[in-house]
Amino acid sequence: MNVLWAILGGLANVGVILLAAPLAQGLLRKITARIQSRQGPPLLQPYFDLLKLLGKEDIESGECPSMQRFAAYLALAVVLTLACLLPMGFSAPFGSAGDVIVLVYLLTVSGICTLLAGLAAGSTYSLLGISREMMTMITLEPLFAIALIVGAVHTNSLRLDTVLNGSVYGAAGIPWSGVIMLGVMSLSFQAFVQRVPFDISEAETELMEGPLAEYSGPKLALFKYAQMAKLIIYSALFVALFAPWGASLMFPIGWLLFWIKVFALVLLVTLIAATHARYRIDQAIRFFASLVGVSVVALILASYGY
Amino acid sequence: MIARDMFEQFEQRFGPLIKRADLPSDHRLFVFIDPSSVKHVCQHIFRDLDARYVASIGADDRPFTGKFLVAHNFAFDKDHVLCSAIAHLPPENPRIDSITDFVPAASWAEREMRDLIGLEPVGHRYPKRLVLPDGWPEGHHPLRKDVPWNELPDSFDDTREFNFDDPPEGCTVVPFGPFHPTLDEPAHFRLYVEGEMVRGCEYRGFMVHRGIEKLAESVMCYNDIPILAERICGICGCVHNVAYVQAVEEAAGLQPPPRAEYVRTIMLELERLHSHLLWVGLAGHIVGFDTLFMQSFRIREPIMGIAEKISGNRKTYALCVIGGVRWNITPAIKIELRQVLDQLENEWAAVVAAVTHDKNVQKRTCGVGVADAALVKSTGLLGPVARAAGLEIDCRRDHPYAAYDCVEFEVITERDGDVWARLLVRMKEVFESIRIIRQCLEKMEDGPLQLEIKDELPVGRIGLSSVEAPRGESHHFVITGENNRPRRWRVRAPTYQNLQGVPAMIKDQQLADMTISLGSIDPCFSCTDRLETIDVSSGSVKVWSQKELLNLTRMKGRQP
Repeated sequence: MNVLWAILGGLANVGVILLAAPLAQGLLRKITARIQSRQGPPLLQPYFDLLKLLGKEDIESGECPSMQRFAAYLALAVVLTLACLLPMGFSAPFGSAGDVIVLVYLLTVSGICTLLAGLAAGSTYSLLGISREMMTMITLEPLFAIALIVGAVHTNSLRLDTVLNGSVYGAAGIPWSGVIMLGVMSLSFQAFVQRVPFDISEAETELMEGPLAEYSGPKLALFKYAQMAKLIIYSALFVALFAPWGASLMFPIGWLLFWIKVFALVLLVTLIAATHARYRIDQAIRFFASLVGVSVVALILASYGY
Repeated sequence: MIARDMFEQFEQRFGPLIKRADLPSDHRLFVFIDPSSVKHVCQHIFRDLDARYVASIGADDRPFTGKFLVAHNFAFDKDHVLCSAIAHLPPENPRIDSITDFVPAASWAEREMRDLIGLEPVGHRYPKRLVLPDGWPEGHHPLRKDVPWNELPDSFDDTREFNFDDPPEGCTVVPFGPFHPTLDEPAHFRLYVEGEMVRGCEYRGFMVHRGIEKLAESVMCYNDIPILAERICGICGCVHNVAYVQAVEEAAGLQPPPRAEYVRTIMLELERLHSHLLWVGLAGHIVGFDTLFMQSFRIREPIMGIAEKISGNRKTYALCVIGGVRWNITPAIKIELRQVLDQLENEWAAVVAAVTHDKNVQKRTCGVGVADAALVKSTGLLGPVARAAGLEIDCRRDHPYAAYDCVEFEVITERDGDVWARLLVRMKEVFESIRIIRQCLEKMEDGPLQLEIKDELPVGRIGLSSVEAPRGESHHFVITGENNRPRRWRVRAPTYQNLQGVPAMIKDQQLADMTISLGSIDPCFSCTDRLETIDVSSGSVKVWSQKELLNLTRMKGRQP
């Protein structure tokens, strides 16, 4: 019975993400447009965009079409798997099954999809794009991993439902490590969701979308869908890890609070993206590297109980 | 020093090598020199007298004087003199000493002469094909007078590919263009990249030549050409329109009425306004700051509107005829224009305040794409690029035309010569343009718009005109001719010089800075692409010949 509920809960999460992701994208585009004194597309435009792309001819191109297809499938599959594992206004469906290590792996795999996509295209620009993506991954992925581990250290557990519940503040007294990680993650959040100023690996005006250059039609739709979902998933992760307050309230209130927080985060991402210029790869890497340094300090503090 | 004094100096120094001189005014000097002395004279002008290199012109003068003609134009900005050193070459096997040893800025101009007229620059360090398309046969020079404007040589080989240089060791080639989101026009930079660092590049441009000069010299007439001239560029078209007309007026000794001069000034400044606003927006877009792009385009819109009210068109105003202008600034438009300027000034001040305090934009532009004063001088860089490096050159003040001698304005300069400095220069120039237009509206008096011209224009006279386009000095050279059309009309747009500085600007920089460095000269490829008629496009996998492509488009066209 328990297993059945878990599976149903996971599927419900997937459904919610698939439905909500384009809406968040639509909201993002609308707000961006308003900041730029434009009318902007209708709120539901991303749904139509995806439908249109899905209905287009499926063109095989690039150096290795089968890998290109695989990368697109994998990209969406990975984010949807992530969706199964996260608490989305309720407790995490597979709370007792997986642990946070799986999360760390899955987050990395979603970056690897971009690498595969770029390799499959095999053009100079896509290769440049993946070399940037790889550099970003190496410096960026440790941040989320450390945040999760800080939580795990505080709670002495790797269980999803324990860690993804504001566990970073688990220290006695002032939760220094949690506060530091909150700062670090807020500063790097833009990069995790691949928005300006950190959309370096597919910078349109420099690399012509880089790894995605060869994508079109349904496969592009899958990749775009995955990117939209990523925005919500990372927001949900962030909320669960750093701002879980009110999650335990009774059904409509706790659930509503959760989604309000997620959409507030989307709004924040939009505002930052609309008011910044893109960083150069070396500037970004230097920035991430200093954040990694700070978060290592947080990890040490956490292991001493602060 | 005025032109006469300069000529006397030349005569003392070079004696019989100077054959004669024309001194139409205190501000123009045409010296006719012996071809053997071209190197010495140019070296003296450029090095000892510290003149600024402007352009080199080759012309086929055989039907008239039996000789070829080469002119090297220099500007004495402080003395307000434009000087042209002209040499006649024999009709058989025309050769001339290259001046690129000490004037690197003349490199493209000499390569263009070699391609189009067949004048061999002796001692040029890099005499590679510049303008002609890949399949064009050697030894066939389309700008010669005996070649019809619509001729395609029989030996044209549309399968031949361009012979690119080998990249330096350890570098990979990153093709930048011909189609790239930040290039709105086709141009090809072959970048040699080591990791993320650019180590060098080769440029192959001139891909959309429209044969404009040839067309003007062979089938159009004096008053058609202004309309053609403004189609050289989609943004600074009015500049070419005015520059051509001024060159012809100067050659023919015509003085347009004062009101026409004011109208020209106003339209030129309106054009600068919308061009600079466009550029600031594009620069924002290139570094991923789309909000800046959208806002400057919103602010720019009323300027396009008022231009449409004046001329009937948002762009390509069709402003000038020889001896005057076609549009008037009516009292109603005057009131509206003032309102537009007030609104623009307020809104632009807000944008400038926001951008100048933006650390994020500074991070992407400070120290990027640096062109220092030495590079500016040797490569002949112009306009905001030169002014950002601290060189105070501005044709509006140095070689006044239209009504610029009647208005006051400041020449904006910065010191660092990087993209940030260019951004600042352009943003501040907007305020100066607003000032100029206001003064024009104030001082303009009623009067005729066009000169009545009763006689035919004299033949064989030379006219020069430098107009400060938003991107730098646009230089036009005209020799008047028979049949109501010029014998030779050469256009040197500012991008023609500025592009030659790009390889030095992007060397040893991050690849990510390439786009903004190139963007910072405000490149206008259509301005450089004036001359040829045929282009061969090549795909990466299969090389399509021109015929195949044409057939392909025709087939597409026939589909329902």
